[in-house]
Amino acid sequence: MPVGYSVYRPTGSTIHTGIDPRVKMAWLGTMFTLALMFNGPAVLGALLVALLVTARAAKLTFGDLRPYLFLSLWLTTLSVAIWPTYVHGGHLLGHVGFVTVTSDGLLFGLAMGFRISIMIVSASLWMMITAPQLIAAGLLAMGLPHKAGVALASAIRFIPFMNAERTTIMEAQRARGADLGSGGPIRRVSNSVPALIPLFSRAFVTAQNLSIAMDARGLGASPHRTSALELRFGRRDRILVLAALAAVVIAVLCRIAGFGVLLGSYL
Amino acid sequence: MSEPLIQVRDVEFRYPGHSPVLHGVDLTIDRGEFVALLGQNGAGKTTLAKHFNGLLTPTKGQVLVGGKPTSALSLTELARQVGYCYQNPDHQIFAPTVDKEVRFGPDNLGLPDAAELADRALALVGLTAQREANPFVLGRGQRQLLAVASIIAMDPPVLVVDEPTTGMDLAGAERIMRLLASWVADGRTIIVITHDMDVVAEFIPRSVVMAHGEVLADGPTEHVLRRSDLLPEARLLAPPAITVSDELSRFGVGRCGTIRDVADDLVHILGGRDAGRV
Repeated sequence: MPVGYSVYRPTGSTIHTGIDPRVKMAWLGTMFTLALMFNGPAVLGALLVALLVTARAAKLTFGDLRPYLFLSLWLTTLSVAIWPTYVHGGHLLGHVGFVTVTSDGLLFGLAMGFRISIMIVSASLWMMITAPQLIAAGLLAMGLPHKAGVALASAIRFIPFMNAERTTIMEAQRARGADLGSGGPIRRVSNSVPALIPLFSRAFVTAQNLSIAMDARGLGASPHRTSALELRFGRRDRILVLAALAAVVIAVLCRIAGFGVLLGSYL
Repeated sequence: MSEPLIQVRDVEFRYPGHSPVLHGVDLTIDRGEFVALLGQNGAGKTTLAKHFNGLLTPTKGQVLVGGKPTSALSLTELARQVGYCYQNPDHQIFAPTVDKEVRFGPDNLGLPDAAELADRALALVGLTAQREANPFVLGRGQRQLLAVASIIAMDPPVLVVDEPTTGMDLAGAERIMRLLASWVADGRTIIVITHDMDVVAEFIPRSVVMAHGEVLADGPTEHVLRRSDLLPEARLLAPPAITVSDELSRFGVGRCGTIRDVADDLVHILGGRDAGRV
């Protein structure tokens, strides 16, 4: 399977090039906060739609988002199937086996699915619209030590690489007749050892080689580091940060008032 | 009489959401053949080879192994027929000892003589003395040999080896190629994916050149590597032995393509060893 070496999708949109990376990071945190403040499916669904509209405005295609949307759909389905076994308020809708299915159970399952989907889509969207070097530059500008910024940016950069490695390793073991995917959970874990050991080994070797390469290129040699990237925090950025703050404040007030909250006793 | 073992019929393949990687590929590999798949990165060599053991199935067309379409066979069934040795041995090594690593495949396939097959494979690659060693402490060349041994131990009639000489010194590369050649002499079929044109000219009698997901040339290596009209399109360069051999043809000597052939030609031109010393 062809796997790109970065999640970043440089479409050249204003969202990609015209917004400071610190603002994008602030909005990522905001989306996570909003997802946790509400537990009603209507508001969370609207937030998910807003994210998809943002992705469209950033000129991203369905193909770019497809793996994350499929993961979200799968987790939402799982959530809708599981939550009715715990939540029994609302109208009685019927019985499935030993499970009593109620309207609150279904709606809360849907809301929790939307919540995790918002987190998945917003995190992937953030990585697709922010170049890895700008993520590092943004973190440095926020006071993160340079080495830690490089480590974080490298970790993000290597996610698709390690995914490609995982695919290759699984293919190599399946070609040797290994059964990696069948059986119950315990058997699956035990069967996955032939894939996990090479994967961890590759991860350690890659990290070790990267650290040697970084040392060889003088990382950390000087405490006064210069940067070719200059971040500019403009008027648009200030407005967007204020909007993010306002969104968080409004969400907290809504939570207190019970707006967009299906079950007050749950987060 | 030749017996077709792998038949690729008008195969097209594309990953979901991507352009086709293979376009209308036709190829037949007979039992007992030693074949090189050549071409630049992205030409489609590995994608094609992954069709032989069912890791990929064609989007269009058909791949037959032993007369049966791969789409009708399970991966385990195909693993008995076609062994696939990956380019980087670290993509498959996981066991605590060399012996356990080699036995992994035969045990998965439920082969009754797994221990014997593993012993034989280790002896073949010269790793018997390291059988209790941790594979992760072996050198790169030995890990590559271990990866080949772990596939040979599954006793498949067909072996696909991806870049077997990458990262190996000359002696190691020659050793592994001699090992593969001896396996072919034993009646097996081997397909080698490689960029090492010297190795191809020296050891592999048939070459298939791929570019842009198509087969550009297919035939005896000494002919294919002289296709100066096609090699640049596949971003390949004829090995020095072929170039020198072609130059020597002006002196009326044979036009073969191995270093040994070239040496013989030179000796012939110079009038034998004694003349050469004068």
